[in-house]
Amino acid sequence: MTGRANSTLPNSIIIVGGGASGVVLAAHLLKAPNPDLRVTLIEKRPHFGQGIAYSTLLSAHVLNVSAAGMSAYADDPGNFWRWLLERGLATPEQAPVYAPRSVYARYLKELLDELEARETGRLRLIREESLSIAPTGSGVEVALANGTSVVAHLAVLATGHDEEPGAGHGHAIRMGSEADTVLDPEDRVLVLGTGLSMVDSFLSLEQRGHRGEIIAVSRRGLLPSPHRKGNPIKLDVADIPLGTQLSYFVGWFRGLIREHQKAGIDWRDVVDGLRPFNQKIWQNWPSSAKRRFVEHTKAWWDIHRHRMAPEVYGRVTEAVQSGRIRLVAGRVVGITAGDEFSVQVQSRHTQNIETFNVARIYDCTGIARDISTTSNSVVRSLVDRGLARPDPLRLGLDVSDNCEVIAGDGTVSANILAVGPLTRGTFFEIDAIPDIRMQCARLGKRLLG
Amino acid sequence: MLTKKGKYGLKALVHLARLPVGQLAFVGDIATGNNIPKKFLDAILGELRNAGFVQSRKGKEGGYRLARPADEIKIGHVVRVLDGPLAPIPCASRTRYQRCDDCNEATCQVRHLMLEVRQAIAEVLDQRSLAEMRDIAGDDDLSAALKIQA
Repeated sequence: MTGRANSTLPNSIIIVGGGASGVVLAAHLLKAPNPDLRVTLIEKRPHFGQGIAYSTLLSAHVLNVSAAGMSAYADDPGNFWRWLLERGLATPEQAPVYAPRSVYARYLKELLDELEARETGRLRLIREESLSIAPTGSGVEVALANGTSVVAHLAVLATGHDEEPGAGHGHAIRMGSEADTVLDPEDRVLVLGTGLSMVDSFLSLEQRGHRGEIIAVSRRGLLPSPHRKGNPIKLDVADIPLGTQLSYFVGWFRGLIREHQKAGIDWRDVVDGLRPFNQKIWQNWPSSAKRRFVEHTKAWWDIHRHRMAPEVYGRVTEAVQSGRIRLVAGRVVGITAGDEFSVQVQSRHTQNIETFNVARIYDCTGIARDISTTSNSVVRSLVDRGLARPDPLRLGLDVSDNCEVIAGDGTVSANILAVGPLTRGTFFEIDAIPDIRMQCARLGKRLLG
Repeated sequence: MLTKKGKYGLKALVHLARLPVGQLAFVGDIATGNNIPKKFLDAILGELRNAGFVQSRKGKEGGYRLARPADEIKIGHVVRVLDGPLAPIPCASRTRYQRCDDCNEATCQVRHLMLEVRQAIAEVLDQRSLAEMRDIAGDDDLSAALKIQA
């Protein structure tokens, strides 16, 4: 489609960010037979393939997707599952298996080691922080924190989720960050968010022997649902209403679930049956429907769509029943810092303001954050210089359907691209490996044929 | 299969797409202009409103207009709202499946092929916008255009 395909293929590509998205993209790019291809993967952390998601060492932090869905390769869905079996880390009768995330990090590391050994000359790894990307006459130049720079035909941003908290009036910290110092085990803590990140934090606190009360606050106070073994229903795009107003779509989808439940089919199978079409549904909605979805429906969608392993769900619900975790539906309206934090939360239902005195506030509001305030230097410098802009809903960077970054004036960049969570505004569900590997496969195909 | 309902709905939308942006049209005018029974058209426009393709205003100055620019409304999207899942025959649908009395769906080769056909239907109809359909030239113009091209 693009002019590039007709002229010369890009033979040098820099991937900024060596977390899971970056490694998956490198693996797909290196599938191209082109012997002159040069892929450079830049990561500031000491280890590749971990990023934020897979750097946890806690064995209770398991994948939220079963092993059968976690292959790094779009055209080989069983790759991770076989890897687990070959190493005796799972047995066939155990399926579905929710492997520890640290095991997944090892899988990606081995995959990258293998690529590095096989692709001498075609793959180069750099352990350094990237500061900025600047277009040059024939491509791009990525400036590194050590004062050097790397040039290539094009650069792909794969910087993933923001590392710094976006919520909490400057008082909230990330679990496991440097600011997360030792707490008294009896201390009461407050968690902003009640989703999967809150669940991770709860598991971490448990592991540390923490016994104090955990107040978890979100607008609706909803807990994600557990996985259950099932078979997604089969749908075709011809069955799905596209491009309608949100209420119409929601009405259709609720009806579809009701009909299937009457026939004894679990709602999860309907939600999962829609998954192959989620990007298409999102991309065809008018902007008013997208906005309404983010404001009103997303919280409900998320707890049904982004589920947790059944064992983890068991532990969390037990903690809620015993009062260890208190779920609060409301909004933080004020935080006063003293010896403790005094957090005022306005209840969603009664509008009353309740004050919680807590020793620490953790930010688990999840992943959506206004990109123009990102803590990532490369992304911020692109936005500051008008080479990139937030998407209209401010979920991530504005990119084309082909992953090309769109500049402040609307120009589609020919040599700065993005994959993974950064592209949420365009691709909507692009946080999990099954979606990211599809995106990487398509991008690799488009760039390198 | 495109029903009369689907066809009338598309004609009504083309009618609205021809008006200057924001201008309302009376249901009566759309009905007479396109040979559509008015009562039927009322029901059709009501469904198109629920789905967010048209807006209505009540009263003397009332009527219907497009809720979004004509180039953003895809034909396939409209047809699904009016006629349900895109399908060349009633058994070739996953959510609105209607069993044929006279065959077995597991072994029916006709159904298998028709399931493939519906993908092709979706591909065509989801690519074409209402604006494109509005601007399709009539048969006479088309043959003239073809002659020029030749």
